[in-house]
Amino acid sequence: MSVASYVKNIKDTVTSVFEGMTITFSHLVRRPMTIQYPDKIPVPIQETLPRRYRGILEVDMDICTGCLACERDCPITCITIGIEMDKETKQRNFTHFDIDICKCMYCGLCAEACPTGSIRHSQEFEGASYNPAGLVRHFVTQPAPLYKPKKGGETDPKLAEKVDTGLKYLDEFATPDGGAAAEEG
Amino acid sequence: MNETAPVQSQGFYAEEMTISVGPQHPSTHGVLRFVVKTDGEVINEAIPDVGYLHRSIEKIGEKVTWHGYVPYTDRADYLAAMFANQVFCMAAEKLAGTEVTRRGEFCRVIACELNRIASHLISVGTFGQDIGAMTPFVHALRERETINNLMEEICGARLTYNYIRIGGVGYDILPETCTRITEFLDHFEPIVDEFNRLLSNNKIFIERLAGVAVISKEDAFSYNLVGPNLRGCGIKWDIRRDIPYSVYPELEFEVPVGTGQVGTLGDSYDRYWVRIRELQESCKILRQCLKMFPKGPAIAKVPRKFKPPVGECYARVEAPRGDMGFYVVSDGSEYPYRVRIRTGSFTAMSIIDKLSKGIMVADLIALIGSLDVDAPEIDR
Amino acid sequence: MQAYIDQLIRDGYFAGMPKEVVYAVAMVLAAFIVLSVFVAPLAGVTSWLERRVWARMQSRVGPNRVGPQGILQWLADGIKNLLKEDLIPSAADAKLFSLAPYVVFVGFLCAFVVIPFGSQLIVADLNIGILYILAVTSLVVVGILMAGWSSNNKWSLLGGMRSAAQIVSYEIPAGLSILTIVFLAGTMSMQGIIKAQGWAPWDWFLFNNPFTFAAFFLYFTAALAEGNRTPFDIPEAESELVAGYVTEYSGMRFLFFFFAEWGNLYVIGAVATTLFLGGWQVPPVTSDPILLGVLQFVVFFLKAYLWVFIAMWVRATLPRVRVDQLMALCWKYMVPLSFLCLLGTICWMLVFPKGNQIFSVAMFVLGLLIVAYFFKRVVFQIRHARPELYFKPHI
Repeated sequence: MSVASYVKNIKDTVTSVFEGMTITFSHLVRRPMTIQYPDKIPVPIQETLPRRYRGILEVDMDICTGCLACERDCPITCITIGIEMDKETKQRNFTHFDIDICKCMYCGLCAEACPTGSIRHSQEFEGASYNPAGLVRHFVTQPAPLYKPKKGGETDPKLAEKVDTGLKYLDEFATPDGGAAAEEG
Repeated sequence: MNETAPVQSQGFYAEEMTISVGPQHPSTHGVLRFVVKTDGEVINEAIPDVGYLHRSIEKIGEKVTWHGYVPYTDRADYLAAMFANQVFCMAAEKLAGTEVTRRGEFCRVIACELNRIASHLISVGTFGQDIGAMTPFVHALRERETINNLMEEICGARLTYNYIRIGGVGYDILPETCTRITEFLDHFEPIVDEFNRLLSNNKIFIERLAGVAVISKEDAFSYNLVGPNLRGCGIKWDIRRDIPYSVYPELEFEVPVGTGQVGTLGDSYDRYWVRIRELQESCKILRQCLKMFPKGPAIAKVPRKFKPPVGECYARVEAPRGDMGFYVVSDGSEYPYRVRIRTGSFTAMSIIDKLSKGIMVADLIALIGSLDVDAPEIDR
Repeated sequence: MQAYIDQLIRDGYFAGMPKEVVYAVAMVLAAFIVLSVFVAPLAGVTSWLERRVWARMQSRVGPNRVGPQGILQWLADGIKNLLKEDLIPSAADAKLFSLAPYVVFVGFLCAFVVIPFGSQLIVADLNIGILYILAVTSLVVVGILMAGWSSNNKWSLLGGMRSAAQIVSYEIPAGLSILTIVFLAGTMSMQGIIKAQGWAPWDWFLFNNPFTFAAFFLYFTAALAEGNRTPFDIPEAESELVAGYVTEYSGMRFLFFFFAEWGNLYVIGAVATTLFLGGWQVPPVTSDPILLGVLQFVVFFLKAYLWVFIAMWVRATLPRVRVDQLMALCWKYMVPLSFLCLLGTICWMLVFPKGNQIFSVAMFVLGLLIVAYFFKRVVFQIRHARPELYFKPHI
C-alpha cells in the first residue's frame, strides 16, 4: 500500500462520514413521515383514502339483481349466494348472501362484474375480530326479494338514489374504461 | 447441529462449525435458509435451502379462470406484483391474439416503472440494512410508501395490485394522478442523490462491497443470472431493449451496466450500483411516458368468459429481479391447462453456493443482499 | 468523598467501629446512590433519547407515548423486562450464563468511581484514575465472552469471539491517545488532568496542538469500538449474528447488557470531556461553593452528553465494518496514527515547554470553521432535498 493511497483512504473515510452525518443531522429538522395511526390523526384514515381503494366488500341488497356474476367471477369463491323461489308468490328471494372476509383477497373482480354496482369495495379496512366466524359478513338476515331493474329508469326515489350511487361507482371506479370515458367527456 | 468434522487449516486442527442461517434470520429477506459450514468466521460452504414459502401458485393456475388468475400472479413476487400481472396478461393476449390499446400499454409501463422504483428501493434499502446502515433503509422505505400511495390512487391496492388485466389495465390513470406522479418524480430525483451521498459514497460501505463475491461473465451465463445481477457483470442485456415489448421501443433509456468502479467488475457494489442507476432510468422513462400519454380506452374489449384457442406460449418481461417469464398452455377451456413461472431470484440462489467459498459470514449477508433474492419469487 | 468520611471518623461519628467496616458501608451506600439516582435514569433516558434521535434522523417519530414526549419509555421497558420470565436455555452453562450480565454491568459501573462531575463531586480521586478506567472497563470483555460462551449458541459464540478480539485490540489506540494527555498533564489523576486545563476552549487539551486534536478523534473512535457501538457493533451485528452474544438472553438479564451499553456511552463521553474538553472547568463567575458545584456539574454533564449524542448520531449514519476490516483499521491505521500523535505531542512539548497560546487559539478557530462548514452543508442538504416538494401523504 503506497503512502498516497493510505492518506487517500483516511481522507475518503473522513469526508464521506462527514457528508453522511450532515445528511442525518439535517433530518432532525425535517418533518417526520409517520402517520400516528390510529389515534393521533386529524381525520379517520378511511376518509383520506382514494376512492378507488379496495377495502372490505359491502353489498347494497336493495339493488342486487341476484345475477350471481360476482359469485362466478370470484377466484376464491368467498361469496356465496342462495336464491330460492317462493312457491306462493312466485317471487325469487335471497336466502343468504355471505362474504367471507377471511378469504377475500380484495382483487376487485366481483365489483367489476356487477351490473348495478351493488357490490363494491368500501374504504373500510379494519376487520379485526376475535373469531373467524365473525368475519363472515351476512348481508341477508331474512329472505328478501331480488331487485328487478325497471325499464325507463327507477321510479321509487329512495331506490333511484341507490341505483345512481351504484352506477356512479361502476362508472368511475370499477369499470375498466371508466376513466377513459371520463377523459374523453 | 453438532456434526463436526476436523478440518486442517495451516497446521492447526480446527473443527468445522455448521450454522443454520435462517429461516428466521434477520437478513435472509423472507424465509430462506442456508446451511453454512464455517471455519470460525470464514465460510467453507453455504448450501441454500429453498421451499419455505411455497404456495403452489403454478398449480392454482390450473384451477381458476384466466381472468381470475391475475390476482394470484400478484403473489408470485409481492414486491413487484405489477410485472407478474403484466407477463401473465401478455402470455394470455399472445394466445388469444388480443390487441392491447395504446393507452393501456402506457398505463402498464407507468405502473410497472413505478413498481420497479418501489422494488429497487426495497432492494437497496435492505441491502444497506444488511451492511448495518439503518437510516438509508428507512429513507428508502419512506419513498416507497409514497409510491404505495400513488398505486393506491391508480388501482386501489398498495401491494397486490391486480391492475393489469388481459387486454389492457383495470383502471385508467386519471390526470390528477399523473400530476401527482410528476410531483413525486420532482421530489424523488434529489432524494436518490441524497441517498448516494449518505450510503453509496460512504467509504465503509464501499469497503464492505468492493471486490466481494465477484461474479465473472462466464459464471453469470452458466448460472443463468438475469436482470441487475447479470448487468452488474458488465453484460448489456435488458429484455426491454433486446426483446422489446409494450411501448419500450418508443422510449429512450439507458441500460446501466457494472463497470467495476470501486473494485472488480461484477462485485457486490456493481450489482448495487446498477440498481441505483435503474432508479434514475425509471424516472426518465416515467417522465417520457407522462409526456407521451395518449388518449383512448385503457382496455380492449375482452369477453368475460375468456377462452384462448388451444396452444402454448411463453412471454417474458424485465422485472426488477430480472427476466420474468410465464409459460402458459391452453386447452381451449376457461382454465389454463398449465402455468409455469420462471423467475430471476431462483437462478440467483444457485450461484450462492459457488460464491460463498472462502468469504466471511458478514460477506454472505452482503452477497444475499446484493443478489436481491426474494423468498416469494424463489418458491412461488 | 474519602476525605469526607475520614473527617466523619475523626469527629467520632463511628466510634467503636473498625475503619474498614465504615469504608465498606460507605462504599456500598455510595454505589447504591450513584446507581439509583444517577446511572439508572441516565442509561434509561439515554436509551429513550437514542431511539428518538435515531427515529427523527430516519423520518420517523420514535417512542412518544409514555409520559411527555415518551420520556418515561425507559421505565415502561424496565418494568416490562422485570416482569418477564427469566429464561435460561437448558443446554446453557447456567452459572456463567446468569453471571455474565452482572460482570458486564460491574465493569462499566466501576468506572463511575473516578468520573469527576465537579471539583468536589467525585467518589474517589485515585492517583491512577485514568489507568483505573482502562482496567475496569476491560472487565466488560470478560462478561461478553462469558455470555457468548455460556449461551451454547453458535451466534453467541461468534459474537463473543469477535468482541474479545475487538476490545483487546482497540485498547491500544485508546491507551495511546490517552497517553498523549497524560504526558501533557503530567498526572493520571482525573482531577489533576482537569486542573491542568482551563475553562476557555483554547486552554483545553483538544486545541493544545494538532496532535492532541487528532488524538481526540482517535480516542473517540477507539472508545466507540470498545463500547460495541456502530460502526463497530460487530459483536451483536443483528443482520449477521442475529443478536450476537445477547441472542439467548431475555428479560432483565438482556436489559442489563443494554443498561451497560448506554451507561458506557456516558462514560466514554465523560472520559473524553475530562481528558480533552476541560472537564468541569467553568469561568470564574461565582465563589459560592454550592452554586459553583452545580455549575460545574451542569457543564461537565452537558459536555459529556454532547458526545453521547454524537455517538447516537454516528450510529444512525454509518454502516458496520467487517471483522477483518475492523482489525485492519485498528492495526494499520489507528495504532500508527496514535503513535504519531504521541510522538508529535512529545516533540511539541520539547519545542514549546509552556505551550503555545496563539497556536491554541488558531486551532480553536479552525475547529469553529469546521463546525461552520458542517452547518453550511446541513443547509445545503435541506435545500437540495427540496422540502417544498416533500411529498404529502394522504394526511
